[in-house]
Order: sequence, then structure tokens, then C-alpha cells
Amino acid sequence: MKQYYDFKIEKIKGLSQEEIDSRKKNLELFYKNGFPNKKDEDWKFSDLNKILSNNFNNISNNDYLFKEKNFKQIHEFEHNFISLFNGQIISSDFSYEEKNKISLKVFNYKNEKNLDKKNSLNLLNHALASGGFSLEISKNYKLKKPIVIYNNFSNSLNETIVNYKNSIIINENSELNLINYIDNSSKENFMVNTIENIKMRKNSSLNNILINNSKCNGYFYKYTKNDLEKNSNLKNYLILSGLKFNKLDIEINLNEKDSKSSVFSALNLVKNEHQEIKTRINHNAPHCHSYQKVKKVLNNESKGVYQGKIFVKNIAQKTDAYQLSGALILDDAAEFDAKPELEIYADDVKCSHGSSSGSVDLNSIHYLKSRGIPEREAYELLINGFLSEILEKMQESELKNFLIKKLERQINEH
Amino acid sequence: MKAEDLKNNKEYKYGFTTEIENIKSPKGLSEETVKFISNIKKEPKWMLEWRLKAFNRLKVLKEPNWQKPKYPKINYQDLYYYSAPKSASEKPKSLDEIDPKILETYKKLGIPLDEQKRLNGIAVDAVFDSVSVATTFKDELTKKGIIFCSISEAIQKYPELVKKYLGSVIPLSDHYFATLNSAVFTDGSFVYIPPNTKCPMELSTYFRINASETGQFERTLIIADKGSYVSYLEGCTAPMRDENQLHAANVELIALDDAEIKYSTVQNWYPGDEKGVGGIYNFVTKRGACRGKNSKISWTQVETGSAITWKYPSCILQGDNSVGEFYSIAITNNFQKADTGTKMIHLGKNTKSKIISKGISAGNADNMYRGLVEIKNKAINSRNYTQCDSLLMGNKCGAHTIPYIKNGNATSTIEHEATTTKINEEQLYYCNQRGLDQEEAVSLIVNGFCKEVLQQLPMEFAVEAQKLVAISLEGSVG
Repeated sequence: MKQYYDFKIEKIKGLSQEEIDSRKKNLELFYKNGFPNKKDEDWKFSDLNKILSNNFNNISNNDYLFKEKNFKQIHEFEHNFISLFNGQIISSDFSYEEKNKISLKVFNYKNEKNLDKKNSLNLLNHALASGGFSLEISKNYKLKKPIVIYNNFSNSLNETIVNYKNSIIINENSELNLINYIDNSSKENFMVNTIENIKMRKNSSLNNILINNSKCNGYFYKYTKNDLEKNSNLKNYLILSGLKFNKLDIEINLNEKDSKSSVFSALNLVKNEHQEIKTRINHNAPHCHSYQKVKKVLNNESKGVYQGKIFVKNIAQKTDAYQLSGALILDDAAEFDAKPELEIYADDVKCSHGSSSGSVDLNSIHYLKSRGIPEREAYELLINGFLSEILEKMQESELKNFLIKKLERQINEH
Repeated sequence: MKAEDLKNNKEYKYGFTTEIENIKSPKGLSEETVKFISNIKKEPKWMLEWRLKAFNRLKVLKEPNWQKPKYPKINYQDLYYYSAPKSASEKPKSLDEIDPKILETYKKLGIPLDEQKRLNGIAVDAVFDSVSVATTFKDELTKKGIIFCSISEAIQKYPELVKKYLGSVIPLSDHYFATLNSAVFTDGSFVYIPPNTKCPMELSTYFRINASETGQFERTLIIADKGSYVSYLEGCTAPMRDENQLHAANVELIALDDAEIKYSTVQNWYPGDEKGVGGIYNFVTKRGACRGKNSKISWTQVETGSAITWKYPSCILQGDNSVGEFYSIAITNNFQKADTGTKMIHLGKNTKSKIISKGISAGNADNMYRGLVEIKNKAINSRNYTQCDSLLMGNKCGAHTIPYIKNGNATSTIEHEATTTKINEEQLYYCNQRGLDQEEAVSLIVNGFCKEVLQQLPMEFAVEAQKLVAISLEGSVG
């Protein structure tokens, strides 16, 4: 296979010799493995090496020079924001909140000495990452308005990869609604590789929403590691239709008693979009709950993948873990692959998973048509019902309405 | 393990060894061994060539290592690949001529070789180590045109059939253990059911590993021609030894148009003792091909034995409207490990498959369901239903589920569900209250848990299987 990538650490400014050495080590290891391919168990259903080599001539890392600073803001609801361009913080605004409760810094790479040999994209990130942010919410503070992170990418990114790391800490008894917003309509091929660490202290709560607004040719990979302390509550909402390629690799560690986590996802994929959601929920302590509902609608030649793993340690008695993945396949050229895994070492647990894939129920279509609803609308109605179910339990009504509208648009645009 | 210990160890009642003289091949895996086996079986040249092809392929293959249960490296040069009772060198023509010691062994196992058992209507092809000892009921079957004999005999008498189908479902180069088997397989059963024939009785084979340091490599080939039906039973036991023994069998099933094959296994190989010493490594490749339209293959397995069970009886649904079924109970106790499941590959239109898997794990055991359901793009209107439930007893054991699901078209439906729980305490309490002790209660509840699978077994097997379920779990509660 042709060599289609070439990365240079020198493009990153202001590194100490020690950092350069450590990054070089990571890069060497990456070159040994290359981009992951289907021989790699975690990438069995998404052969990234093949996908990239078919679409890119020469990927290089970006040089972090860009002029754009303007971006479209969300007007539907009031919010704080952090704006990133190619992973670098451009501006931020927390004017709705009390002072000194929120700390935002550029991510500090000095203490990072990771060598994760198994995940070659993480290796690449360790070698090339620059920018990104560290966000920390003080103790006992409930944010009045959500924070939107505008993930902007310059239109000049072509055949380039952007790597950065984020860290989010939510301290005791604090609450945050976080919206990761991608709005890019670039026709150029580019890649984004992110690592995000989220730490949730006692009794904290986080709604982590990932949403994409327009169609673009970006190839995204994001690895998120979540560590949850006692009685914390993490909810993930993933509504990312429209990206050419996307893989979310979510690890959630329920480290202390009574912590709860959930993953909700709704995707409507068209053309040859390829999206994968991979989760690993580690129940490391007793009395924890986890819940997953992953829904996909697959049109044209799209491919949807779900790999979910629930791991229950032997001390994690009274675990309640649930996992459901469903797919509507609307075209013979579309494909759905799933690997819902359970690995359980404790006996007093309630763990189950279900996975189903098939077409739209024709009886329901017939029912709607017989009541005067045109076929296309009938399909939309059913698809909408199928996908928007994941938002049903959301309590923040303003956000919920916004998400429902976005989801509807994603469905109707097809 | 001393003979005295063996006597005292009552839990594995088949743990006796039979002292008879054996003919063994030279130790180790080499071209000589392959030639020795082929020679002693007086095989035609094409068969030897086939074996050698597999042997050469084996040189470049590596043992797979993706499975969950890890095992110490097997020294293939330290095994005997052929071992046969001496008295069988000249094949007996009737039961009277058989070495009484062998008959004794089978009596202990409860194999229906003799007249009285014949009333059960089971024809038995008993494999004692590597050579088929006696085949009963042959006459009756011959009248219907059914061929039921050892694979060695089939190679001599029906070379055309063997040539056509051997290796057509499990190719020579499939994977390490399958290839190893192709090179050194010693014996096994061959079944051919002619068109439009319903086999009047259940066919059965009882395998038994006797000689120590031997691997058992049997090869089974079952062909159901158009419109025919056959039900085949396989049972396994092995004597108790403190070394690990390898068992790498290949089973190939072929169902042509409108044919049906039902294959049931009760596997009760020696699982090792309470500390996890000894026991069989059961690395078996079983695969069935529904070649014809409307054909059906159904696998039923009850796995209670072996130190490590590693197998995936699979169905390749090539013919339109063909059906594949898989029913499984896997029980692991003490230090047993099981990594088992199935593959359903849908190629033909309107194909259906159903998977019911029950895993029970106790002691320090690990029990894994691993399965693949793949509906290819052209297999329109296909359907799969999978249910895998696990039961855990104690917090030192593990239960795992790894299903791979691939749906490649818009008209097919795949449903999969899995649960993991422990025995319901209310149910236990209810049983205790009515005078059942803890073990009886557990056995009752577990049998209920397994009911859907036990129902699929033929009558005689179902009774044995139910008892096995209870025995396997003895001492795991309390």
C-alpha cells in the first residue's frame, strides 16, 4: 500500500527537548503500526487505513496558521461559549455565570507522558497534539446556562490532520450542560483526532452533548475517558449525522458507588457516511447504573457500527447495566454491524443487551398511508419517532427542543 | 494421579482406564507420522496426498490466539497421533469377536452395543481411540441404501463420495487445528443418506480417548442427499489423567435440497479435578453447509466436560429458504473454561437462523458465548433470532457474551438479546420451603433454565443430559 501520510513534529512550536523526544517516540510507534485496520479487533468493522488511503493522497499535520475568526453562533438559546479553531482556543465568554467559578486554560502538555501502544490514533495524538483546553468547574456551582464549544475548522484544511487534547473537571456538587457543536461545510478532506479526559467528582452531574450541524468531508476520531466518583451522573447525547467518517470511542469508568452513566445516540446516515460508536463501560464499584441506547437509520451506501462493551468487576455487585442498539436499514447497499459485549465477573447483577436491525415496518407505513399521509412523510414520521426516542427523558426543555429540531432537520434533509 | 486416588474420586464415573495393548505411531508430528497413519489404514494414494498437503500447509500456519481461555503451549512433538487396540488390527466381524475388555469399557459407559440395548433402536459406530470397533445395525441400514460406517472404511469403499465432500465445508487450510486434523485424522464416522430417505433410527457415535498422551483426531462426514433426513448423536467421555489431552476433531455436514440433518452432542470429557489439574482440551471444528434449497441443519450441544472447550458449530446457509439452528448449554465448574458459540452465515435468499445459548458458570470457571451472525447483501428477506442467557453462581466465575452482528441488506432482520443474572433467590426459597434441599433446588431451577435446549435432544439423550447438568453443578452451591 502506498505511503499516504507524512508527519512533522517540528511544525509544533515551543516544545522542550524532553517533549520532543517523548513525541518522537510516540510517532515512531505510530509509524510501526500505521493507521488502524480491520485486523485490529477494535477496528474490525471500520477499516480506517483502507478508508483513508482511498480518500487521501498525503496527510500531513496542520501548521496551526489560520486567519479565520468568525463563526456562526447558535441563536436558539442563551449560552456561554468557548470557540476553537483547529483545536486552538480563539475566544470564550462566560458572562452568564458568576466570576471565578469557571477556569479555562490552554491544555498543558508538560505532564503528558502517555504511551498507549494499543491505540495507534492515540499515539499519533500524543505525538502531534497542540492546543485544546482544560476546563474546570468549581465546587458547589450549578451553571445557569449551558456552555457551547464551537469546534470550528478552517476551510483551508486540506489533506491535513488536527490533533488536540481536552480535559474537563467537574468538582463536587456541580452541574454542567456541555454542547460540543460542529458546524463545517468544507468540501476538502481533513481529519480530526481528539483525546478528551473528563473527571467527575462526588455528586456532580454532566450532560455531554455532541451535535453536528452541516455536512462536511471531515474524518473524526474522538477518544473520551470518563472517570466517575460517588453518586455522579453522566449523560452523553450523540447526534452527529452529516460527518463523512466518525468514530467515537467512549470509555466510562464507574469507580465509586452509586455513579450513573448513560449513552444516547441517534444517527441518520446518508450516501457513504460511515459512523461508529464504541463504548466500554467499566463497572468497578457496586451499585452503579449504566444505560445505553444507540439508534441508527441507514440510507444509501452508509455504514453504521456499534461496539459496546459492559465490563463488571467481581466486587461490583448490584450492578444494573443495559444496552440496546437498533438500526433501520433502508437501502440494500447500507450495512449495519454490531458487537454488543458483556464481560461479567460478579453474580448479583442485572445485565442485558439487545440488538435488532431490520427495515421499517411496512404495516405501519400502510396504516399511515391509509389515513391520507403520503408515503415519504410516513417514512419521515416513523424514522423521527425511532430516533427522537433517545431524547425522551431529557429534562432541560430548551435544550431538548433545540435538539429535536436539529434531529428533524437531519432527517428531512435527506 | 495414583490409581487409588482415581478409585476414590467418584465424581467422574467414566474415569477408568482400560489396559489393553495398543499399536502406536511413532511419537511426534512429522511426515513419517502422516505416512504411518495413512499406511496402516491402507489408504489410497489420493488420500495420502491430501493429508500431506494439509501437513505442508500446517508448517506455515500458526495457532490462533484470540480466544479467551489461554492454555500452556502444546508440544505437538510429544504426542502420539495414532493409537489403536492391537486386537482390532484384524477387524472383528461380529460382536463376539471383540476384545471382551473393550466391551466391558463400553458397558461401563452404557453404550448400547449389545442385543438388549438394540431395542432402543440406536445404531452405534463406536470409536475406541482411533479405530472404529464395531458397527451395529449395518444390515438394516444397508437395505435402505444408507451408508453408516467408519471414515476409513468409506475411503476404501466409497472413494467418490469422500473425494467429493471431504474438506468441502472445512477447507484444508481453514485454521491450525482443522488443518492438523486433516493431516493426522485417524478415524470417525461417515454417513450418507440417499435421496428421499428418512433414516429410520438415530445414528450415534461414542468417542473415547483411552491411551494416555494421545490426541484424538476424528473426522466425521455426514451427507444428506435430496429430500432425506437424519438425526445423529455424538457422546464423549475420557478417562481421568492429570495431564492435558488434546482433542481436535473436524465434523462436516452437508445438506442438499430439502434435506435435514439434526446433530446432537453431549460432551462429557474429563474436565480436570477441583484444582484445575488435567482435563481435555476440546478444540473442535464443526461446520454444516445447507447447500440445497429448503435444507435444514440443526446443532444441539450440551457441554459439561473438558478443561477447555473451544468450538463454534456453524451453519453456512447457501441454499434459498434454508434454515440453521443452534441450541447450546455450556456448563463450567471449578477451573473449566468454555469459549463456544456459533456462526450463521446467510448467503441464500429467505434464509432463517435461530440461536439459543445457555451458559452456566460456577466455581472459578469462565464461560463465554462468542457468535457471528452475518447476512450478506444478496441474502434478502433473511432472518435471525438470537438469545443468549447466562447464569452465574458465585463471584469468582465469569460469564461473557461477544456476538458479532452484520446485517447487509434492507429486507433482513436480526434480533439479538442477552441477559446475565444469578439464580433467583425467591425461587430457591420457594423450593426449600417445599422440602427440596439446596442442591435439588438448584438442579431443578437450572434444568428449567435450560429447558428450551433440552427439549431439542432426542429422548435417550435428554434424560442423560438432565442428569449431567445436575452432576456438573454438584458442590457449587452452599
